Amino acid sequence: MIATQKQLAIHAEGVEVDFGNGAGIFDQNYSVPEGTILGMIGPSGCGKTTTCRVALGLLAPQRGTITTLGRTPTRFTAEDRERIGYIPQQFVLYPRLSVAENISFVASLYGMSTRQIKVRMDELLAFVDLTDARDRLGQNLSGGMQRRLMLVGALMHDPALLFADEPTAGIDPVLRQRFWEYFRRLRDEGRTLVVTTQIVSEAIYCDYVAVMRQGRILAVDTPMGLRRRVLGGEIIDLTLGDPENIGRALATLRRWRDVVKSVRVAPNSETDLHVVVEDAREYLPEVLNRLENQRPRIVVASAAPLDVSYDDIFIRLMEEAQAPQEADHG
Amino acid sequence: MAELSDKPVVASRETIVTPGWQRWLIRVRAYFWKEVNEIRRQPLLILSLIIGPLLVLILFGSTYVNSNPRVRTAVVLPAEGIPGLEEEQLRQVIGLNFDLRLVTKNQAEAEALLASGAIDLIQVLPDNIFQTMRSGVSPEISFTANVINPLVEGWVQYLAYAQVNEINRTLLVVTTARAQEEAAGIRVRVVDFEGKILEFEQGISESRKEGAEQDLKTFIDFLDELNRILPPQEVLAQHSDELAQLRPILTRVRINLRDVRRALLDETLTEGLLELAKTRNDLQLLSGTLEIFVNIAPDRLVSPVKLSYRNLRGSAYSAVVYYSPGVLALLVQHTAITLGALALVRERLMGAFEVFRVAPVSLHQLIIGKYLGYIVFIGLATLSLIIAMLVIGVPLLGNWLQFAGLTLLLIIASLGVGFLISTLSGSDSQAIQLAMISLLLSIFFSGFFISVDSFAPLALPVVYAIPMSHGLAGFQHLMLRGLPPSPGSWLGLSLISIITFGLVVIITRRQLLRA
Repeated sequence: MIATQKQLAIHAEGVEVDFGNGAGIFDQNYSVPEGTILGMIGPSGCGKTTTCRVALGLLAPQRGTITTLGRTPTRFTAEDRERIGYIPQQFVLYPRLSVAENISFVASLYGMSTRQIKVRMDELLAFVDLTDARDRLGQNLSGGMQRRLMLVGALMHDPALLFADEPTAGIDPVLRQRFWEYFRRLRDEGRTLVVTTQIVSEAIYCDYVAVMRQGRILAVDTPMGLRRRVLGGEIIDLTLGDPENIGRALATLRRWRDVVKSVRVAPNSETDLHVVVEDAREYLPEVLNRLENQRPRIVVASAAPLDVSYDDIFIRLMEEAQAPQEADHG
Repeated sequence: MAELSDKPVVASRETIVTPGWQRWLIRVRAYFWKEVNEIRRQPLLILSLIIGPLLVLILFGSTYVNSNPRVRTAVVLPAEGIPGLEEEQLRQVIGLNFDLRLVTKNQAEAEALLASGAIDLIQVLPDNIFQTMRSGVSPEISFTANVINPLVEGWVQYLAYAQVNEINRTLLVVTTARAQEEAAGIRVRVVDFEGKILEFEQGISESRKEGAEQDLKTFIDFLDELNRILPPQEVLAQHSDELAQLRPILTRVRINLRDVRRALLDETLTEGLLELAKTRNDLQLLSGTLEIFVNIAPDRLVSPVKLSYRNLRGSAYSAVVYYSPGVLALLVQHTAITLGALALVRERLMGAFEVFRVAPVSLHQLIIGKYLGYIVFIGLATLSLIIAMLVIGVPLLGNWLQFAGLTLLLIIASLGVGFLISTLSGSDSQAIQLAMISLLLSIFFSGFFISVDSFAPLALPVVYAIPMSHGLAGFQHLMLRGLPPSPGSWLGLSLISIITFGLVVIITRRQLLRA
């Protein structure tokens, strides 16, 4: 559960939608503070879209309660819906309409007048760099342009809360990064975003990340918080000058319990140690000093904070979630 | 890639708040313009929907010659031909209704052609028609067809019936003419025999007795022959009361003369003078009646009823004009059903329903917006077609407002059917398939080519469920007769519109909830 002083855009408690045969979402508890980005990360079929659909009011939970913008989604009024934007997974704009016509159509669904549409469209086309393509037909747009067009459509009515279901799927890394720039910009201007993705590395762009597996939210935290939760802290990677010293180094660091949370030999190495501390950059000099102050001196050939990828963190979370299940079955 | 714009993405807030009713209309307008823009981006579709049918109509009108099927026929004559009927006459009579390809006396040759499909029908004319008729047996013309089209078979049977009637009439004319010729000769003898009867009344010598008996016998034979050759009593009776008495008088005279002959042989003639006088009177009557008979044209005697025909409108319309209201109704309906059939299924399959559910739009705004979009487009297409029809000479004799109203109602009803197909279809191709089935149903059951009266009552619900059935009837009234459409046309189209709208709303609501 994300604890914050801010107002909550979404608050879910024990939400469950069971489609049978293990499909659905189960016991979901999460909150999304206003003005933040919640990234929902998980493999295909893990329930990301269903979670969004429940929050959008497209599906009613069979158990639990959920509020979106302070209202029960299944009882949204037209006014409530006007505060929400949605980018579905697939391109659902019209191939025979131009970019401008597609945008006008979606904006009109939200009751915007022609004058409002014109002003807003110019702003947003410039925002996503589609001004030159405003008269191009939907069928002549590249995949990336289609995604940007959908983003414009979802933003036309200036929603307070934006759901984007895998907006970066199937697009190149440069455009992907650009999308996250858009999202962070929107967040900075006060909007709340819920973004689903299968690309684990995108967690770094989010304020909060919900890691999902088989319909359950395994963890919700800040990206850093997730890292700490999985690793127990941050890791300093030490390479010893002499592999003979590895035993003494381990013993020295394990005795320093105030700072060192754990220490172990790096996988597939005879000279590298992974030292887990609260803050790698802060404690790196002290770790080096402590080893080099030993008699005889333990020479450290190199030392640096270890940048563990979010893929690794995600895999570890998955393995942790799977272990109890295997134990149950075993 | 360019740098992000520094401008804020938060909307420039407007101070004017759009009223709720205006937002309602804006949402309807969204669907309306979306449909209009999508359709106008398909010029080939527009061309195929308007120009295509018009070209078909023009081609049909300029090449249509006859609605009767051409039945390729061979006639097999008897070896000795038909006495009294020349081959050329026969060709003219049969050629009226049949495409006469062969006249032959070789039946096997004709049968080979029939089996190979080179001809459709063989007519075998009988031997010795008159002789057979005289023997009291009806001569038979045998028709053998090789057709697979049930409508053509119906035509063949009808034309065969008409032809046999015509031949019967011709034979009757010929035999009547022959009878008149013989009757003229017999009448002279009748006049002559009146004198002989007078002679009998005055007394007959023994030496004249034998000759008189012979004369009497000969005369009775003539009268028997006259009795045999006279046209049937029905033919004589239908002409006049005098001719209706011809046979009864003749019969009476024959009986009396036989009695006279018997009396002559029995030598009791003097005892029957009164009967002789009556016989003489009857002979006078017979002579007068025969005079009437021989002086009547044989045609008048055989076909006393003449045909008189007048079309109140001068003449019927040409085929192209007559079928124009049907083409118009078919085009309006097919365009509306086809476009409507694709309207909802595509959006449902592409996932747009999910976007609609998230957006603050109602189902009614969606449906009404779509109806309006298609009504405008199909209305414009129909207007173009009507103008083109007027240019090629198709009249619009009725009230323009009623015509516009009926067209609008036909479009709405047909769109309802199209939308209903769209809600029931699982894919584009299925929707097109169902639209084509509706087209097929319309061609068969709307009265376009086959009259609605031709169907059993069981088919009537299908007939009335097709918008075109009502549109076609209404358009024909308005355009060709200058009459208002029947209340049934208005009612039928209104019911279809209401029912389909209701069903579309119910089904689409369920589909939206599942989106």
